[in-house]
Amino acid sequence: SEHACAGFYQNKKTFFSFFFILVCDPADVISTVEFNQTGEFLATGDKGGRVVIFQREPQSHRHFIGEYNVYSTFQSHEPEFDYLKSLEIEERINKIRWLPLHNPAHFLLATNDKTIKLWKVSERDKRAEGYNLRDEEGRLKDLSTVTTLQVPVLRPMDLLVEASPRRVFANAHAYHINSISVNSDCETYLSADDLRINLWNLNITDRSFNIVDLKPENMEDLSEVITVAEFHPHHCHLLAFSSSTGTTRLCDMRASALCDQHAKLFEEAADPSHRSFFSEIVSSVSDVKFSHSGRYLLTRDYLTVKVWDLNMENKPVETYQVHDYLRTKLCSLYESDCIFDKFECAWNGTDSVIMTGAYNNYFRMFDRASLRDVTLEASREVCKRRAVLQPRRVCVGKKQKETDVSVDSLDFRKKILHTAWHPKENIIAIAASNNLYIFQDRLTPNGHHNTPEIQSAPPKWQTQPNPPTY
Amino acid sequence: MEYKVEAHRIMSISLGKIYNSRVQRGGIKLHKNLLVSLVLRSARQVYLSDYYSGACLNAAQSEREWDITDTEREKFPPSTTECDRVESSEEPQKNERPEKEREYRENDDEVKSDQADCTSTLQQEQNQNSSQDSVAKVSSETLQETINEPKESPSDSALAELDSTPEANGESHQPPKTHVCSNRKRSAEESESGDSPQKKTKVASSNAKEGEEAEEMDTSNVSNLITIFGSSFSGLLSKDGAKPESEAEDSGQICCDQMLKNLNPWSTAIVAF
Repeated sequence: SEHACAGFYQNKKTFFSFFFILVCDPADVISTVEFNQTGEFLATGDKGGRVVIFQREPQSHRHFIGEYNVYSTFQSHEPEFDYLKSLEIEERINKIRWLPLHNPAHFLLATNDKTIKLWKVSERDKRAEGYNLRDEEGRLKDLSTVTTLQVPVLRPMDLLVEASPRRVFANAHAYHINSISVNSDCETYLSADDLRINLWNLNITDRSFNIVDLKPENMEDLSEVITVAEFHPHHCHLLAFSSSTGTTRLCDMRASALCDQHAKLFEEAADPSHRSFFSEIVSSVSDVKFSHSGRYLLTRDYLTVKVWDLNMENKPVETYQVHDYLRTKLCSLYESDCIFDKFECAWNGTDSVIMTGAYNNYFRMFDRASLRDVTLEASREVCKRRAVLQPRRVCVGKKQKETDVSVDSLDFRKKILHTAWHPKENIIAIAASNNLYIFQDRLTPNGHHNTPEIQSAPPKWQTQPNPPTY
Repeated sequence: MEYKVEAHRIMSISLGKIYNSRVQRGGIKLHKNLLVSLVLRSARQVYLSDYYSGACLNAAQSEREWDITDTEREKFPPSTTECDRVESSEEPQKNERPEKEREYRENDDEVKSDQADCTSTLQQEQNQNSSQDSVAKVSSETLQETINEPKESPSDSALAELDSTPEANGESHQPPKTHVCSNRKRSAEESESGDSPQKKTKVASSNAKEGEEAEEMDTSNVSNLITIFGSSFSGLLSKDGAKPESEAEDSGQICCDQMLKNLNPWSTAIVAF
């Protein structure tokens, strides 16, 4: 029987069809965005520990794209207090990962700094009626009034989407959890904190195996921390993790139980001309993503995004400048703490385009084949219904066009840290503070940016007609 | 020089960040504090060095590994150097130091009763201590090195001493102008390559766990830093306990300056925190 079940009673027929967001409530700042394996569902986690799941409606003839609407909302994590260490544990959801199961129910892992939870999200559209011992309100019947026995029957009811925590994986991390990743074997998953990576079985909550341990014997010798870890999409024995020193390691779990010895180390020699006080900080890797093909790694550091071929360790095959104009502003970005912002990155379904966020609510896309890149903006002012996004340009110095934005007028409080790309289609989800934007490519909504011929013009990204509320 | 002002500013900002991280919700963020401590260290290197060049910074980078060769060790035996430095320190500074230490020790008791983790040892695996350790250690290391120089006497006579203790070619806060000029003179005379390895060894040896002098001062350093990074900063400033966060920025700044001036320079690992 389900216990402690969090449900959100929603009539799926009523859509929220107005563009949301009014007040920026700090608890609602979105902290993670993730599509499931089919792209039908989009999960977001926020700073307040809530998870909101959107479902894509089937495409109708009126709209050429299916819309995403709120499917379920539940409180995943609550703030906790560690009395032993006098530490408050934030409820912010750091990562969500969907399980690739083919059940009628959907499963996802959500984690805060210390605890990972497996949630089951299921639909109920039938209700059993006609119980013998209880009446319709659930009250015990007076047995003297029961004269006949009846078999309860299932009757349709309004759809109820229920979320229940099925597993809680706790007390395995002494440091703050930054990543979770489900293995392709669908039985295990990893969780990574600053110094350690643990391997779990999805069914076992009281035990995990430590597979990477960077903690030095003497904490004085600490020189690097783990920033992100991810399993290879196809090879269940391979995982990658990046560090604050700008390196990314590939580990083979077949080699030994403890994967401190990497199988491969991806590191590019630092450019001596770019040396500054902040060289270490800007080289720290903030996100790592395997390509869908499993052949490449995408890494994001503060100023660039790099594509690595797994077969070549000494340098990336491609490097894209996200916002190189910030290189001269590192000191003030350090003062404002912006230099510590951790931007994520994403591949499109065919690994031909990569995307990452920036400041001023800008996000960037790089087409690997044509080497074209575009800067787009996600903001309420710009995103009207069905509006096609116009490319933006940041200029250092004099404006060449009216629409150019000068570096000095960038708003560094508006940062796009979390982005996600639909696994198959050209639909993207962008989190800007507590707002979620969903865009679709109008020219090739279902197609791929495979070859330059298909794209005669840069992709035209469009807001979905009925943006969801949050 | 401008870059020294910049380096000093960055050091102050970094110390402020480390301090503020203690009052932040969710506990100390190990990653951020590690990065801040690296910046602090880089800034310190520049602040201390005579040369603002990429080569110098690169040397400082490798210095971080504390890679001491045997030959260098022979040249500059750590214990004698330490003795020299202690003896050569000026009168006013000597008087200052014991006072501060006394103050710290008083507050030490307060802090210890407040926080259980103050009494933890190196071997303890509690992560809060560990992360604090790392933060404290890394920042304390740099702190010690940072305040090495300011403690040195700025007078011309000290220049002669500086020649024999090359790591102390940094300047103090008091008369920056005269000192800077003196440094320039020195830098013209001495070769770049000759200076850095000496400095490298000096700084490294100062951190080496050897020498009775270092051990003696450990407890006071530890208590200094416990006080500094502890929740009660009463050792350094009269803090209104009711409003720690609003004063965090100011406290951080005052604390930085005070720390830079008054901290005992000698310390090895921060064991307890």
